[in-house]
Amino acid sequence: MNGVKNMIEVKNLKKQFDEVTVLESIDFTVEKGDVVCLIGPSGSGKTTLLRCLNLLETPNAGSITISDKTVSFDNRKGLSKKEVKELRSFSGMVFQGFHLFPHKTVMENIIEAPLIVKKQDKKKLTAEGERLLTKVGMLEHRDKYPDSLSGGQQQRAAIARALMMNPEVMLFDEPTSALDPQLVGEVLRVIEELAKEGQTMVIVTHEMNFARRIADKILFMDGGYILESGPPAEVLENPKEARTREFLQLLDE
Amino acid sequence: MIEWFSNIQWEHLYNPQLAWDSLPFLLEGLRITMIISLFSMFFALILGIFIGIARMSKFWFLRIPARIYISFMRGTPLLVFIFILYYGLPVIGVQFNSAVVAGIVGISLNFAAYNAEVVRSAIMSVPRGQWEAASSLQMGYVQTMQRIIIPQATRIALPPTFNIFMDVVKGTSLASVITVQELLYSSRVVAGRTYDSMTMYITAALIYWVVCIVIGHFQERLEKRYNRYLSRR
Repeated sequence: MNGVKNMIEVKNLKKQFDEVTVLESIDFTVEKGDVVCLIGPSGSGKTTLLRCLNLLETPNAGSITISDKTVSFDNRKGLSKKEVKELRSFSGMVFQGFHLFPHKTVMENIIEAPLIVKKQDKKKLTAEGERLLTKVGMLEHRDKYPDSLSGGQQQRAAIARALMMNPEVMLFDEPTSALDPQLVGEVLRVIEELAKEGQTMVIVTHEMNFARRIADKILFMDGGYILESGPPAEVLENPKEARTREFLQLLDE
Repeated sequence: MIEWFSNIQWEHLYNPQLAWDSLPFLLEGLRITMIISLFSMFFALILGIFIGIARMSKFWFLRIPARIYISFMRGTPLLVFIFILYYGLPVIGVQFNSAVVAGIVGISLNFAAYNAEVVRSAIMSVPRGQWEAASSLQMGYVQTMQRIIIPQATRIALPPTFNIFMDVVKGTSLASVITVQELLYSSRVVAGRTYDSMTMYITAALIYWVVCIVIGHFQERLEKRYNRYLSRR
């Protein structure tokens, strides 16, 4: 494989919806233990890129490598279920809208997939679930239904749900964009905690201060391209590209 | 107006004694009504689930026939369809040995189309994020359907399904025209004998109403159970 350190390697990735090109020859790598933040204006393709990593969208060309599994999309009509499942097994996804299962309690939510997909023992899963719920500060809510929880609580439960599958990489799609402002902090703290533990993560975010604190690398996207990438000190403080400067300025106002 | 009012035959408006005396006979009719209703709803539900899922299939050879079926059944009167089954089919050698069976078949096939539409709309109204969350957790199509989508769709489908159930119960009265001796038929027999149509048909109406009240009560209990995970209400 290419280097021991690379956890994610994306090569020449393209994605079109009908006639519209959303991602144009995307190349980047994520090292093991790194936190990469995707920033950029809406419609720049960052969410689509993240969804491609989890194969919620199927790219039209290029390749994605996560851990030691490579899937190439060149000259392909469709992917095999096995391929999709295998690549997905390396990543856990956290959505902007949480998408907890409303008919299941918090505990049922987080043990559902390992119970059904991996057929693991329920007792062990519950113990592991308790450990993760403690970590995200949700243990006291283990038997509640999502509808009775705040957005911040739901999102923290959703993070625990993704972690239950032991992903190599955690993918966050604007994890705090649907939250009331006073609930943003509690979710960001959980993500920072994960970063400290060395969890590899890719995060689409509009929280620039958070990105500055947590990211090892920032990717600035616009119009389906990665225009600029580098450590936060470079991209956020001394952007080379005019578009990046423009974008950051708009955020400051 | 006054003339019309003074001409009302009050003694024929409702005769409780007659209603009471004919009750056992009517309840025998109700028994047939309920047998047809329960069997019809049962078959219509099972068929409806399959047709509804076929209607959403990515395969045209499932989707198109399901679509035509639903369109035909929704677009033709149940009574006409029952006539076709009972009086038409013998022409090609298919004869029902009992009118009750013909009634059940007709009502089942007809209402399956409505159930199929309920199934389809309920499944479609489960948010797409639920599918995405499940598949990002590596759950397959069948697992997602079974564990995530159908439990939520069932809750959504309950009220319209019970509407259909009530329509089925009331629709069984159409079987009276192919000589099935259900509730309406029995009422008509007594009405014909006593010339007291008003009493008999009002009594029949009240009995249908009571049955639907019971069904509605059952619906409420089920809804409560399925809504328990929602914090409001």
